[in-house]
Amino acid sequence: MTSESTAAPANPGFQSETASHSGGASTDASLLVNDLCLFYGDQQALKDINLSIPRKEVTAFIGPSGCGKSTLLRCFNRMNDLIDTVTVTGTLLLEGQNIYANDVDVAQLRRRVGMVFQRPNPFPKTIYENVAYGLRLEGKIPRKELDDRVEWALKSAALWDEVKDRLKESALGLSGGQQQRLVIARAVAVQPSVLLLDEPASALDPISTLKIEELIHQLKSDYTIVIVTHNMQQAARVSDFTAFMYLGELVEFDKTDDVFTNPKKQQTEDYITGRYG
Amino acid sequence: MVKKDGLKLNAWFASGEPWVWMNAAAVGISIAAVVGLLLLIAARGFAHFWPASVAQLDVEFPNGVSGVLLGEIADRESLSANQYLESTGQTTEALEPEQAVVERWLIKTGNRRVAPPDFRWVATHYIQAIDYPENALVLERMEWGNAYGFLEAVYQDGELSSEGEGAWSDLENRLKRSVGLRVEIHALESGELNGINYALERLRLERRSLDRRGTVDDATREARLSALAEEENLLLASFQDAESRLRSLEESLARDSIRISTSSGQELEVSLSEILRAWRPNSMSTPQKASHYLRSLWIFLSEPPREANTEGGIFPAIFGTVMMVMLMSVLVTPFGVIAALYLREYAKQGAFVRLIRIAVNNLAGVPSIVYGVFGLGFFVYFLGGNLDALFFPDALPAPTFGTPGMLWASLTLALLTVPVVVVSTEEGLTRIPRSIREGSLALGATKAETLFKVVLPMASPSILTGVILAVARAAGEVAPLMLVGVVKLAPSLPLDGNFPFVHLERKFMHLGFHIYDVGFQSPNVEAARPLVFATALLLVILIIFLNLTAIMLRNRLERRYRGVEA
Repeated sequence: MTSESTAAPANPGFQSETASHSGGASTDASLLVNDLCLFYGDQQALKDINLSIPRKEVTAFIGPSGCGKSTLLRCFNRMNDLIDTVTVTGTLLLEGQNIYANDVDVAQLRRRVGMVFQRPNPFPKTIYENVAYGLRLEGKIPRKELDDRVEWALKSAALWDEVKDRLKESALGLSGGQQQRLVIARAVAVQPSVLLLDEPASALDPISTLKIEELIHQLKSDYTIVIVTHNMQQAARVSDFTAFMYLGELVEFDKTDDVFTNPKKQQTEDYITGRYG
Repeated sequence: MVKKDGLKLNAWFASGEPWVWMNAAAVGISIAAVVGLLLLIAARGFAHFWPASVAQLDVEFPNGVSGVLLGEIADRESLSANQYLESTGQTTEALEPEQAVVERWLIKTGNRRVAPPDFRWVATHYIQAIDYPENALVLERMEWGNAYGFLEAVYQDGELSSEGEGAWSDLENRLKRSVGLRVEIHALESGELNGINYALERLRLERRSLDRRGTVDDATREARLSALAEEENLLLASFQDAESRLRSLEESLARDSIRISTSSGQELEVSLSEILRAWRPNSMSTPQKASHYLRSLWIFLSEPPREANTEGGIFPAIFGTVMMVMLMSVLVTPFGVIAALYLREYAKQGAFVRLIRIAVNNLAGVPSIVYGVFGLGFFVYFLGGNLDALFFPDALPAPTFGTPGMLWASLTLALLTVPVVVVSTEEGLTRIPRSIREGSLALGATKAETLFKVVLPMASPSILTGVILAVARAAGEVAPLMLVGVVKLAPSLPLDGNFPFVHLERKFMHLGFHIYDVGFQSPNVEAARPLVFATALLLVILIIFLNLTAIMLRNRLERRYRGVEA
């Protein structure tokens, strides 16, 4: 798209006082958040967030419960629209286009920004139909092409080998970890540019968690990934950049190594070292 | 000591055991009541079709009158002596000294025309002898109910054909012939003649429409009218042809006749055109009786009623009930589902929606006769009347849709049951987890796509639960139907071979109303009583069957969606 305008690190506007993006020179921004505020009714949940999510990297949001990290994540595909009382101010640019503009087709936006939720939520349909669901929304697709794209998506989510013989069986028969990878395959199938993962492993056992994390590593070569996690080790393992949020504010945003080894803010250090949170 | 006992009792109550016992007792009573009810109507209803033995009773009354009764023992009961005397107006001399209980039997003696009444109570102490003569004959007749007697002779065209023992096999053969003839007559009447009549009626309507409208010029109208006249002549010719064939069939049916002697000593001549079936129950083996039983049952299920609904079958009522319920389901399901979708998914949840929801729930409590009145006023007179004025002006003043009929009955019942479907659909919709909806929305589906591709399929078991409840209620409803479409006897089914095949404007018969009609409006209560039970059992079986079908469908859907975490 318009790569000039989205050369985010060159744009000083995105860098807030609280979040310095020192390592951003080599990457350009996929998502650019400017002065974003979000209110639930009268209550402000996000306060002047300024942030640049680099393209094809993994960005982790960490912070204590209720700090607004999931809320921020759900701004990226306007999932917060489902709640009537929510109002959003500021801008949020996806590839240079403000997704909160009036003329944005929310359904189209969500096809470009895929999302995976905390608990696996496969539809009560067959494995095949789950992956094909998003594809079928595009309109009539020839059977052969549909098969190919389902296979490709399942391979992308490292699930193909486990389910290739039972595509016609119900997705509800899969284990939790498999279900979560199926949901990732479902999101990947429509070829979004951004993947939002909202605590994708918190409901899974350690082995399944490991698989999801490996998958995230593989996927970042093709997608911009934003992950919300409670688990700081996980953030450290999978992410390239980390944003620490506290009480609706973005406290610190930097390369993950820097945040974890050399936090600039006292609050960040306290949280990482487990003094609160 | 007392205190200790009190403590024990308290502990027993606290253990919860009394509740378990009470619950078990309540469940037990409910099951016993249901099973008992079903057994009662099953026994009284379906025992009726078993060919009962024909008893010949020598009766001698204290006033010196004596006689012979031939018939089936339909009922037995014991009365206290007082009751018996009061109900018969007799004095104590009529009884044995110190007799406290009188047993009396109800004898179905038939022969209603020659020796009424056809049911008589006889106190057993008047019965001198009981015999079951091998050759006692039962005739099921087109009119006047059963006849009981002894076969004397068989005639063909008035000439004696056989007499004595050979007469029975002769009669059996001739009855086989008349069964074939009857089938032909029925085919002619309900097929050809009915079709011609229908075509004639359409011609009449077309002629009227030509007369009425000034839209065509005289020349075309004349041409059309003469074409109609020609068509009508052809139809009338084929009508006369069919009628003459019908008459010759009927004559052929009336060719044979039999002579029987009754228990009262009378001789009775009966034409074979009058006789539906004849059997000799006392000489039948058990397999023969069983086959007779199944045949009777089949006739009951597959044939229209005769004799003011006290004889024959109830097929039109079964058909009408099933068709009405199915049409009702087809109407109520989309209506209820759409209403629930709007209430739950689109309408802004607030005081107004809550008010509407309460109103909908309360609609379920409105007495059904009120719906009948509404259906008559709104559907039949208003909608139907306007439909007639718009689309069927040629038939006026005879109404087409402006009169009670299948469509209006189904619509009225759909309205009656829509709250059930709305409520259970809403419940189903609220049970769909948010995460599933979000999953669909996050893939770029619109709200409508999410609803139709994910939410509604998942809510389908709940929708079906609503339909099951609706069917159960609609199939048993009678009161509103009497106002909007059900009749005692419908001349034709709402589905037949005449274009357009489905005639939703027609009146129809219904099992529930049939029970009422046979039980309370019948000219012959004793004859009709077993049919009331049989029809009641059939209605229950039908509702169970309809429900089971829907429940099986629902369970299949539920299995598919099981395991979705809320």
